[in-house]
Amino acid sequence: MDLFAQQLVNGLSLGALYALIAVGYTVVYGIVQLINFAHGEVFMVGAFGAYTTWILMGSPSHLSPGFAFGVVMPAMLLGGVVAAVGTALLMERFAYRPLRGAPRLAPLISAIGLSIALQEAVRLFYGRIPGFPDSRRAIPFPVIDGFTGRSWQVAGVTIQYSTAFTLIALLVCTTLLWWFVNRTRMGRAMQATSQDPDTSRLMGINVDRAIATAFAVGAALAAVAGMAHGLRYNNIDFQMGFMAGMKAFTAAVLGGIGNVNGAVVGGLVLGVVEAMATTYIPGQFGSSAWKDVWAFALLILVLVFRPQGLLGAKAVDRA
Amino acid sequence: MNDTGSLVTLAPDSSGPAPTGERWIRFAKPARWIAIAGAVGVLAAPFMAWAYRPDALDDVSFWGEPSPLQWFAFALGLLLLGCLVAPFVIKPRPGRRPRRLLAFNRGAKAAASGSLVYFAVASAAIVLELGGLVALEPGAWAGLAGALVATVATRALPEGHDPRLQFLNTPAWGQILGIVGAVALVLFAAAYGLGQDGASTFVTFGVLCGVGVYVAARVGVMGWLSAAAARNRRALVLAAFAVAFLFPMTQDGSDANMSIAVGVLIFAATAMGLNIVVGLAGLLDLGYIAFLGAGAFTAAILSRSAFATLGWSPPFPVVVLISGTVAAILGLIIGSPTLRVSGDYLAIVTLAFGEIFRITMNNLDGVDGPNLTRGSNGIPAIPDLELFGFDFGESHMILGVQIGRFANYYWLMLLVLALIILVFTNLNHSRIGRGWVAIREDERAAEAMGVNVFGLKLLAFAGGAFLAGIAGAVKAHVDVSVTPDQYIFMESAFLVAGIVLGGMGTVGGVLIGASILKLLPEKLRFFEDYRLLMFGVLLVVMMRFRPEGLMPDERRQLEFHADDDELAEEIGENIEAHVIPSLAGAPEPDLKGDDA
Amino acid sequence: MKRHLAAGVSGLLLVSLALTGCGQRNAPAAPSGGGEGKKVATIGVIAPLSGGLSAMGNGIRNSVELAVRQANETNAVPGWQFKFVAEDDQGSPDPGRNAATKLVADKTVVGVVGPLNSSVGQAMQPVFESAGIPLISPANTNPSLTRGADLANPVRPYKTYFRTCTTDDVQGPFAAKYLLDEGIKEVATIHDKKTYGQGLVAAFTEAFTKGGGTIVSAETINPDDKDFSAVISKVKATNPTLVYYGGEFPQAAPLSQQMKAAGLGVPLMGGDGIFDPNYIDLAGSASANDLATTVGAPAESLPSAAAFVTAYEAAGFSGGYGAYGIQAYDAGTALIEGLKVSLKDATDVESARAATVKAVGAVDFAGASGRVAFDEFGDNKTRTLTVFHVADGVWKAVRTEDFK
Repeated sequence: MDLFAQQLVNGLSLGALYALIAVGYTVVYGIVQLINFAHGEVFMVGAFGAYTTWILMGSPSHLSPGFAFGVVMPAMLLGGVVAAVGTALLMERFAYRPLRGAPRLAPLISAIGLSIALQEAVRLFYGRIPGFPDSRRAIPFPVIDGFTGRSWQVAGVTIQYSTAFTLIALLVCTTLLWWFVNRTRMGRAMQATSQDPDTSRLMGINVDRAIATAFAVGAALAAVAGMAHGLRYNNIDFQMGFMAGMKAFTAAVLGGIGNVNGAVVGGLVLGVVEAMATTYIPGQFGSSAWKDVWAFALLILVLVFRPQGLLGAKAVDRA
Repeated sequence: MNDTGSLVTLAPDSSGPAPTGERWIRFAKPARWIAIAGAVGVLAAPFMAWAYRPDALDDVSFWGEPSPLQWFAFALGLLLLGCLVAPFVIKPRPGRRPRRLLAFNRGAKAAASGSLVYFAVASAAIVLELGGLVALEPGAWAGLAGALVATVATRALPEGHDPRLQFLNTPAWGQILGIVGAVALVLFAAAYGLGQDGASTFVTFGVLCGVGVYVAARVGVMGWLSAAAARNRRALVLAAFAVAFLFPMTQDGSDANMSIAVGVLIFAATAMGLNIVVGLAGLLDLGYIAFLGAGAFTAAILSRSAFATLGWSPPFPVVVLISGTVAAILGLIIGSPTLRVSGDYLAIVTLAFGEIFRITMNNLDGVDGPNLTRGSNGIPAIPDLELFGFDFGESHMILGVQIGRFANYYWLMLLVLALIILVFTNLNHSRIGRGWVAIREDERAAEAMGVNVFGLKLLAFAGGAFLAGIAGAVKAHVDVSVTPDQYIFMESAFLVAGIVLGGMGTVGGVLIGASILKLLPEKLRFFEDYRLLMFGVLLVVMMRFRPEGLMPDERRQLEFHADDDELAEEIGENIEAHVIPSLAGAPEPDLKGDDA
Repeated sequence: MKRHLAAGVSGLLLVSLALTGCGQRNAPAAPSGGGEGKKVATIGVIAPLSGGLSAMGNGIRNSVELAVRQANETNAVPGWQFKFVAEDDQGSPDPGRNAATKLVADKTVVGVVGPLNSSVGQAMQPVFESAGIPLISPANTNPSLTRGADLANPVRPYKTYFRTCTTDDVQGPFAAKYLLDEGIKEVATIHDKKTYGQGLVAAFTEAFTKGGGTIVSAETINPDDKDFSAVISKVKATNPTLVYYGGEFPQAAPLSQQMKAAGLGVPLMGGDGIFDPNYIDLAGSASANDLATTVGAPAESLPSAAAFVTAYEAAGFSGGYGAYGIQAYDAGTALIEGLKVSLKDATDVESARAATVKAVGAVDFAGASGRVAFDEFGDNKTRTLTVFHVADGVWKAVRTEDFK
C-alpha cells in the first residue's frame, strides 16, 4: 500500500509537469488548430531562461531561505517566462503566421524544423557566451538550500518539496488561466477566435493578437514547467524538450485537445499510468523499459475509440 | 508575385517586362554594348590568376592556363556573350513573323547575374581559404567587375517575349538526342562534382550547375527539354537509368562515393514509399522509418549471421518478400486507425507507432521480452549477399573497371528503385492513384463519389510499407549490422523533409530531395556541427517561401498558392502546352503556318 | 519573392562558405609541403565529432592527433611522415560506414583509430577487414566485437580489429569482487538497456551471485527519461544496500540525485561510463560515496598517464581529452609502434598493410594507461582496474589491482 501511494505521488508529480506543458499545446490547438510541435522546445528555453537569470544574478549560492524563496526563485521564474514567451512570439510571428491558411502539412513541417533548429541553436551557441557553461551536455541546475533534495515523510510516503512546487504551480497556473480566459476581454476574444476567426475579425476582434496571446500563455506555463523540471531533476539540457513535449502532447490529446481541463486531467492520468505500469504490470512487459510503449498505446487507443479525448475536445471535427 | 522561374522551375516566366526594366528601356542599346564589354571581362578572367596561392579551389593561381573551374567560368562568359550578340546575328527573315525561339535577353540577364554569383562564390572561397582579400589576384577582380557590369547593364534590356522553342516541331530523333545529351551532361556533372574533395570546389561547382540550369530555363532550352521529355517519357527513363547504371564506371574503382550513393538510393527508395502515403494519399506519416527498420530487422533475423536469432535463412529473394510482407502487415496495423483518425491526429498516431517500434526492437532482447532482435546490440555481422553465384562482397572487373562492394549493392538498389518507381508511377496513373488524390483533396467528396476511402488508405499504408520493407532488406546487408538506434524519430523527420524538399508526389522531386539530404552532409563536412541546425532552418524557410518543393507536382503547387491567379493561369497554359500538342501530335497552331 | 529566394540562397551559400573557412581543411598541401622527400602514411580517426557525443569524440581525435604529432617530432619511423585525418561518424552506423569507406579508398591510409560506439564499430569492421587495414578502437566495450556471437566458444570474427579498452565482462566482475570483499551482499541493479550498460550489469550479476551475493531487484530505465521516481520507489521497496548502475553519467547522475531525494540513501556504483567529473557536477552533493570502476591505474599514480595529460594540455587543443582520451592515445601509439616494424623497409603503404596488421597484433609497450599488448582476439591483455569513490566532490582512488 505504501508502494502504491508512493507511486501515486510519483505519477501525480510527473503528470503535473506534463500537464503544465500540455496546456500550451491545447491552448494553441484550440485557437488555430495547429500542433505546435516546437512547444517542447519552448519548455526547454524556459528552463534555460531561468538558469540564465541565475547566472546573470551572479550565480548566488548558499542563500538564506527567505532570500532564495523571496527573490532568487521568483526572478528565475520570471526570466524563464520572458525567454519562453519571447521565443514563442517570435515563432508565431515569423514561422506560423505567414503559413496561416496554407495546407495543414506546411505548419506542421515548419514546426518540426523549428524544433530541431531551436535545440541545435541552444546546443551550439548557448555555451559560447562567455561565462556560460558548455550546453552540449547537461547543465546542473542551481541548488537552492532548504529546497533541493528536501522532502516530507507522510505515512511512509516521501513527498519532495519539488513535487509540492510542481503541484502547487499547476494549481495556481490553471486557476489564473481559467480567470484569464473567462473573465478578461482578451480571454473572451481568444474564445471567440477559436470558435470562428472570420466572424471574430468582423466583430472587431484583433485575431492576430488573440492568437499571439494564446502562444504567449502556453509559453508562460511551459516556462513554469521548465523551472519545476530544473528544481526537480537538478539538471537541464538542450534535448529535454523533445520527449517531454511528446508526452505532453500525448497528455493533451488524451484529455481532449483544445480543452484546458482535459490537458490537466490527461497529464495527470498519463503520469500515473507511467508510474503504475512500471510497478504493476507483471513479467517481462512490466519493466520500465516498456512504460513509454504503454503511454503511447494508451494514446492510440484513446484516439481510435474516443477521438475527442477523455473530457471531450473542443473541435472534434478538426481531428 | 510568384516565385516561378527561379532556379529549377521549368515553366517560362509570365510575360510583361519587370517595372525596373521598363524605366530603363530607353538605354537598352548602349546597355547592350556595356554588357558586351562586361562579358569580355568575364571571358578574359579565366586566363588570369585568381588566387595568390595554389591551395584554394582547384589551383587557380596560373596565368594563361585555366583550371577546370576557370574554364567553366569561360563557358559562362561565352553563354553571356552569345545571348547578347545573338539578336544582331539572328534577324527575322523579311516578310515573316519572327519565330522567337529563344529568349536571349532573359538568357543574358540570367547569365550575367549567374556569372556574378559564380565569381562571388569563388572569390569568397579564395578569400576565406587563403585568409584575406589580398589573396585575390587580378583575374578574380576582372571576373567580378565584368560580371557586375554585365549584371547592371542587362537590367536595362527589355524582358522580351516568351521563348517558344518548346513549340518547335523537332523530329523524334532530335528530341531523343537532346534528352540523351542532357542526361549525359548530368552524369558528367555528378561524376565531376563527386570527384571534388575540397568542400569549396564542390560548392563552387554546385553553384555553377545551378547557374547553368537557371540560364537554360530562362533562355528557353529547359522548356524545350521538358516538352521533349514529356513526349518521350520512355526514352528519358531509359537514358536516366542507363546513366545511373554507368555511374560506378566513372569512379575508377573507388568505393568511397559508391558507399554514399547506396545510402542515397536506399533513402530515395524509402522516401518513394512514403511519397505514396504522404504525396498521393495525403496522410502524414511521422513514423515511417519503422517500416525500413522492420524490413531490415526481418532480413537480419533471417540472414546467415551468427547473431541471427531464428536459425532459419531462406534465399534472399524469399527474404525480400518476407521483409516486405512484414513491413506491409505493420503498415496495415498502423494504417488501421485511419478509419477513425485523420489529419494531425493521424500524424501523431504514426509518430507514436514509430516510437513504439523503436522501443520494442530495443526490448526484444530476452530480458524484457522474447529474444528476437538482441536489443540494443542489434544483429551484427550480416554476411554479404550472394545471388546466382555473384558475390556482392567481392570486387569484380567489369569492362576493365574495378567494381567494388558498394558498387555491387548500388546496382542492386538501382534495380529495386527502378521497380519501386515503376510501381509508383503506375499506381499514380491508375484508378487507385486517382482515388488517393481524391482522398487527399477532399475525403468526404471522394467517399460520396464512391471511392473506397478506408480500403485505399490502408492500401497506401501497406503498399508504401512494402516498398520500404524491401529497401530495408537490402539495407541490412549493405550496413552489415542492424540496430534499433538507426530507426529514430529524426530519421522519419528526414524522410518527410526529403519529399517536402523535392516536391511531394513526384518521382524527380523525391530523387532530388534524397540526394540533397544524404549527399550534401557527406560532401560538405564543414557542416559537421551545423548540419542539423541548417536542416531545421531550411525546413522553416522552405515552408515559408516554397512549400511546394523544388520540383513540385503542378496541381500541388497550385494548392499552396491558392490565391495566385497568375500562377493558376500559367499552370493551366503549361498543362495545355505539354499535353495537348502531344495528344494531337501537332505543334502550337500559331507556329504551324510559319513552318509549313 | 523571386528575389527574396535568390538572396536567401546566396546568403546560405555564403554562410556555408564562411564555415568552410574557419572549420576543416587540415593541411591541404601536406604531400608537397611536408617532410623533405619523406614518404607519407596517413593515420585516420573515426569518431563522433558532431552531435551529442562530440565531447568524447573530439577527445579521441585530439588524443590521437597528439600521438601522431609526437611521432612526427621524434621521427618515429625514419623516412616516413605521418599525416593525420579525422572523419565524423556522427555516432551512428551509416555515416560511420561511409567514413570508413572513404578512408579505405585513400591509398596512403595505414591504420585507423576509432570508433566510440560499439554499434558503429560493428558496421565498420567488415570494411577494414576487406581492405586489410587495422582498426583500433579506444572505446568499443561490447565483448562480441572480438569474440563473436558465442562468447562461451570465442572465435575472432575480424583479424584487423583491435581495442585498447577493456570489455564489459571484466569491469562487472571486478566490481562484484570489490563489493563482496567489502561485505555488501544485497544489491539492486539498474541499467539503461544500451549495449554498454546491459553488458556491464549482466557480467556483474553473474559474478556477484556466484560469489554469494543477492540481486534484490533488477530494473531498467530508458535513456531518454528524466524522471526515475517510479523505478526508484520500486527498488527502494526491496531495501538494497547499494545500487549497481550500468550506463553513462548523463543518466547516472540524475539517478543518484533522485535516489537520495526519494529517500533511498545508498551509494550508487557504476563502470567507467560514470567516471567523469561531470557526474559529480550533475549529481551534486548526492554523489558523495558513490563508486565507479575504471580501466587502468589512476592517472596520478601512473607517471605515463600524467605525462599524457601534461602533453595534451600543452598541445593547446580546444576541449578536454574526455573519457576515452588516454585509451585513444594508446591506440594511436599502438598503431605507430606497429608501423615502426612494418614500414621500416616498405616501399609504399598499400603493400605494407598486411604486415602492419601483424605488427600491431604483436606490439607490447608501456602506454599512458599501462602496458598495452593484444591477445589472440585483439583485446588488450592488461587488466588493471581501479575502484574510485566520490569524496569531497572529487573522484578518489580506493583500490587498484590486476584482475584475474
